[in-house]
Amino acid sequence: MNRTFLLQQVLNGLAIGSVYAIFALGYTLIFSVLRIINFTHGAIFTIGAYATYALTGSQFGINGLLAGAALPFRLPFVLALLGGSIVAALAGVIVERLAFRPLRARGADPLLTLVSSLGVAVALVNITQYLFGAEPYSYPDPLQGLPSAVNFGTAAAPVLVRTVQVVIFGVSMVMLVLLTYLMNATRTGKALRAVAEDMTTSSLLGIDTDRLILLTFVISGFLGGVTGTLIGLSVGVAGPYFGIAFGLKGLAVIVLGGLGDIPGAVVGGLIIGLAEAFVPAQYIAYREAVPFALLFVVLLVRPQGLLGRAQVQKV
Amino acid sequence: MSLRVSVSISTIAIAVLCCAMVGLAADPPIPIGVSVAQTGPVALAGQEQVLGAQIAEEYFNKHGGVNGRPIKLIFQDGGSDEPTAINAFQNLINVAKVVGIMGPSLSQQAFAADPFAVRAKVPVIGPSNTAKGIAQIGEFVSRVSSPVAIVAPNAVKAAMEINKDLKKVAVLYAQNDAFNKSETETFQQAVKDLKLELATVQTFQTTDTDFTAQITNVLNVKPDLVIISGLQVDGANLVKQLRDLGYKGLIVGGNGVNTAAIFPICKAKCDGILIAQAYSPAYKSKINDEFKSVYKDKQKKDPPQFSAQAFTGIQVFVEALRALDKKSPIAKMELAALRVELNKQLISGTYDTPLGEISFTTGPGMGGEIVQKQAYVAQIKMDPDGTKGTFVFVK
Repeated sequence: MNRTFLLQQVLNGLAIGSVYAIFALGYTLIFSVLRIINFTHGAIFTIGAYATYALTGSQFGINGLLAGAALPFRLPFVLALLGGSIVAALAGVIVERLAFRPLRARGADPLLTLVSSLGVAVALVNITQYLFGAEPYSYPDPLQGLPSAVNFGTAAAPVLVRTVQVVIFGVSMVMLVLLTYLMNATRTGKALRAVAEDMTTSSLLGIDTDRLILLTFVISGFLGGVTGTLIGLSVGVAGPYFGIAFGLKGLAVIVLGGLGDIPGAVVGGLIIGLAEAFVPAQYIAYREAVPFALLFVVLLVRPQGLLGRAQVQKV
Repeated sequence: MSLRVSVSISTIAIAVLCCAMVGLAADPPIPIGVSVAQTGPVALAGQEQVLGAQIAEEYFNKHGGVNGRPIKLIFQDGGSDEPTAINAFQNLINVAKVVGIMGPSLSQQAFAADPFAVRAKVPVIGPSNTAKGIAQIGEFVSRVSSPVAIVAPNAVKAAMEINKDLKKVAVLYAQNDAFNKSETETFQQAVKDLKLELATVQTFQTTDTDFTAQITNVLNVKPDLVIISGLQVDGANLVKQLRDLGYKGLIVGGNGVNTAAIFPICKAKCDGILIAQAYSPAYKSKINDEFKSVYKDKQKKDPPQFSAQAFTGIQVFVEALRALDKKSPIAKMELAALRVELNKQLISGTYDTPLGEISFTTGPGMGGEIVQKQAYVAQIKMDPDGTKGTFVFVK
């Protein structure tokens, strides 16, 4: 294996790994507070991507209730991304109110909450399909003036990575830093960690747990919206099910990195991306199996994931 | 006028009217079933097929129907899945009592629904079934859609015309899709037959979104031509990423990307993809000009392949019925016998259709496999901003 090829595969792995990482961040945030897998994350990610598409003033296609519709205004891409992410955050609020809070109020088993989130996810995806149809969409390209790929090698031995993937990598690193700061260095973050540690005790200590949980959904939804848009920018918005396709991989990422661990989600994503990049060419169509095989091995050795803490069972 | 004369005239008039009514009752329109995808994900293609069939019904009835007797198309939605297609076929065969069926839209549906028609001895014409083995389903199954094995290599030949120095070829295909797997075999065989070098074969899944690893392997062999067999979204993403990462050579796409639905994904980067076609609106013939003009009046655009094939399917039924009627009047035939004779007649005919001249070959236990004289290749031309594109036919 020559140096150029090796560097190319490492960069390929980091590029795709950062997509997994950025998706898994929203997942892991909810888990870190509620200890529940939020299956609606993929649907919210899709809603964010569609909302950004609408805000860029683009027209919806020929299927769905809103066929041929377009907003009367056109926002620049960055503003549309922010607007789309706010819509996704609002969707996160609705999800919390519909699928999580009523069950939490009744002290329902976490398994029921899991099933409830799965139900809301399926409903959201179907509503999206009903409204916007099943066809693929893509954004007006905001990176149009830039070269389509960045060369990390030389002119003679190029090592190319698509510009949009470099942007996704950068954004996922910025998100990691911001989230880590939020959780570790702010009062809100400390309160969130207290809620994650023990909801009843933190409530007795005067922490408004419902408000903080809602805030978690808002942040997670916003991250989902940013992620959905960025991935949509890279590979197009491939219909209403496109977020769901990342869900299973995202699950593998957060379990590998350590459930609820924010740096763990990024490390898990990058490791899976790198492992996939090094699958030999003749077996490349089977690379989907790699993250799960890796997960299996890691869980045998470290059941708490790579960066996760071992759970102490209270008896 | 005396009473007697009035009564006589009235009697004659009533007698004439009765005779006319008896005549009408004896010659009701000939029912032909159409079962294509009017709903579901394939409905986009199905709607074009419905339109093609309706134009054919109008056109042939205006031109005398079947020796003076009109045809009537009975539409039954075949959906985009197998159970719906089977139900539609059974309804058309047993309830609507059609003489033959055009449909279904997908090869996958044909393998499920056509055996019901074979058992009932009802002739079927597949308007858009291109997979291997359709005519082999049974002796009552024919198709007017050229199989991929015949059409696909034309695109490779067109690429060789554009780049005379073309030598190295990279092939990528979706290995989790039966149609694409069979299509890539055809492409790979064509590459070998045309004495080109098959430098690499890369696989992917239709659910993949990132193709960087495969593209790295493709770019390493520095190909002059890349051939892609995938579906709309994965195929278009692959093209986009291939161009993003600097591939500047020719691209041939398979039938999965033979749709304007890829434009929103690869936008301006779709430009230049070569795709083999079974139909060209530019084909010069009386029937194609007439078909094209009616379609254009209705839709304000050139007809797509799906509409032309559906028109052709109905045309084959009508012309076979006309020929059969001349040999032995079909009005006197029992439905079961008519269906069997119609099947024999349609397989033996030659037809001048919008697709060009077509006929059928057959063999033991099989229906009619299309033999199409003309072959076409289109190249996608996108506007510079990537919002609109067209399929431009390569000469």
